[in-house]
Amino acid sequence: MWDAFITLMITSLLFIYNLIGQNFGWAIIIFTVVVRLVTYPLTAKQMKSSKAMQDFQSSKEFLDMQKKYKNDKEGLAQKQMELYKEKGISPFGSCLPLLVQFPIIIGLYQAIIRTLAVTPIQLVNLSKHINDGANLIPINSQFWWMELSEPERLPILGVAVPVLAILVLITSYIQTKMVTPPTSPGAEPAQGAQMTQAMTLYMPFFMGYLAMTFASGLALYFIATNLATIAQYVITGQANFKNILPKLPNFSQLGKQ
Amino acid sequence: MIKNKKILFIIILAVVALTLGACTGRRVVATGWSGITVNEETVYFSYGPHAYALNLNNGAQQWQFPAEPINGVDFYAAPVLADDYSQLLVAGYDSVLYSVNPVNGSKIWSFVAAENRYIAPPLATEDRIFAANSDNSLYALDYDGLLQWEFETEDPLWASPILSENCNCIYQASMDHYLYAINPENGKLVWKSEDLGGPIVNNPSLSEDGLILLATFNNEVIALNEESQQVEWRFQTSDWAWATPVIDGDQVYASDISGTFYTLDLHSGELLWQVQPGGGIYSSPLVQDGMVYFSTDTSSLVVISQEGVVQRNQPVEGKLYASPVGAEDKILLAPSEAEYFLVALSESGVQVWGYPPPK
Repeated sequence: MWDAFITLMITSLLFIYNLIGQNFGWAIIIFTVVVRLVTYPLTAKQMKSSKAMQDFQSSKEFLDMQKKYKNDKEGLAQKQMELYKEKGISPFGSCLPLLVQFPIIIGLYQAIIRTLAVTPIQLVNLSKHINDGANLIPINSQFWWMELSEPERLPILGVAVPVLAILVLITSYIQTKMVTPPTSPGAEPAQGAQMTQAMTLYMPFFMGYLAMTFASGLALYFIATNLATIAQYVITGQANFKNILPKLPNFSQLGKQ
Repeated sequence: MIKNKKILFIIILAVVALTLGACTGRRVVATGWSGITVNEETVYFSYGPHAYALNLNNGAQQWQFPAEPINGVDFYAAPVLADDYSQLLVAGYDSVLYSVNPVNGSKIWSFVAAENRYIAPPLATEDRIFAANSDNSLYALDYDGLLQWEFETEDPLWASPILSENCNCIYQASMDHYLYAINPENGKLVWKSEDLGGPIVNNPSLSEDGLILLATFNNEVIALNEESQQVEWRFQTSDWAWATPVIDGDQVYASDISGTFYTLDLHSGELLWQVQPGGGIYSSPLVQDGMVYFSTDTSSLVVISQEGVVQRNQPVEGKLYASPVGAEDKILLAPSEAEYFLVALSESGVQVWGYPPPK
């Protein structure tokens, strides 16, 4: 089952690679866009859940409930769950589709590494996934300054800078911030929202770490998928730009104190 | 509850990281297969972080190079002895070619100008070392490790160069589909074959009467004439032909990765007989004492007579990608993903010794 999934991914990647003149970097980017289009129903569900959660958390009903159960966390949690159920909102609706994408990330990474096949064992493995296509071997793994089968570093003034990892970190931050519903001032975030906030904090660093450590083809996929997600939110008018910049203290208020 | 979810989240991230890590090929799993060289009583071979020297009679380790594993340094190409046996050349995945003392494994010099992995063992002649690298270049060095010239092709070089006395040139097969004949003195191109239709990942073999035999990923075994530089014959295989064809008198032994073993007529390329014992074939056979030994990736050593009668299909633990090597009355095998890095069998198939990975 998993092997068939990887074979499908490798075949698709090689098809695109051949179609566009044997450029593996662009093949990864185009493949990512195609995957985003195929998984759009999942993304749309995620966006819908986020919006529903956002609306609910800024409603009077939610704020009143938080006040009422201020000193009773268990009661608050119970009431919240009741209200979620009543309104048909899933507290994990916005992060579950994200988790579903992990197999796709892992599958894509395996497909990239297996397709690049820079060692004999990798080439043996690749041969088991493709019936034809010997003429595409070896895959051209150079893309701009990158060797896609290796972790990326760009020498700048004698320092090897992980440019792609930094771009992954920035785009992951923007993307996760953009899709995170804002918390109402003074409101106690719901459990699901706290989970999302935790992901917002950890995810960009985690993605940046992966991009710095593993083959740069994976980092290219991360950047392409982040930009595609941002574009989807912007196009559908659901981008939350206010969340991107860190909240600064209100200096005029501070002056009065 | 919230704490548990955070822990769950971190566990998910860790699982993703480990899953990705498992397929990078760094330290966790082998990315190549072992090459073996035998000289008198010593076996030299490379596998993973070290090159090893073992006693041929009992498998006892004499030394390993480097003494301690170095992060990012792996060896799979067969170590090669210099013409006068004073140096052992060990080519690494770290893009470095090392010269090592064959007696004690101490480093003599290293050549660091290449930019990618050495998949192929180098060729050592009387006064030169020729090392093909995945950075598309063939490097010629003297025995002090100094670069004499560099010859560049279009694609990575996984095949070893070979020396032809007929044309006094080096033949280098490339993944760019071509065979190059190169002047060993100055690195100038002598001639270049026509497009052979597919990548070539192994060295050619030469017949005494001037035929160059090549296996290509275009499902073909091809014979080129050294003198006319033209294709003499082509033989269609049923899948990628990976292993170097081996010449045995007037016969040629060839194979493909779907597991078919072919015997062809050397001069016409006509099929004489074929067997398909199961498993892919990635390496050349060993011809010893009237028997032909070849290994398959489904863990078996197949022994056939020169007339094509299967004598034995012997299971061996691990995947057998590497060629069996004959040494005195023993057959040496280097299985991957197995308890032993190296196994010595008697000709009747009894294990004489096994060399386990060092603890």
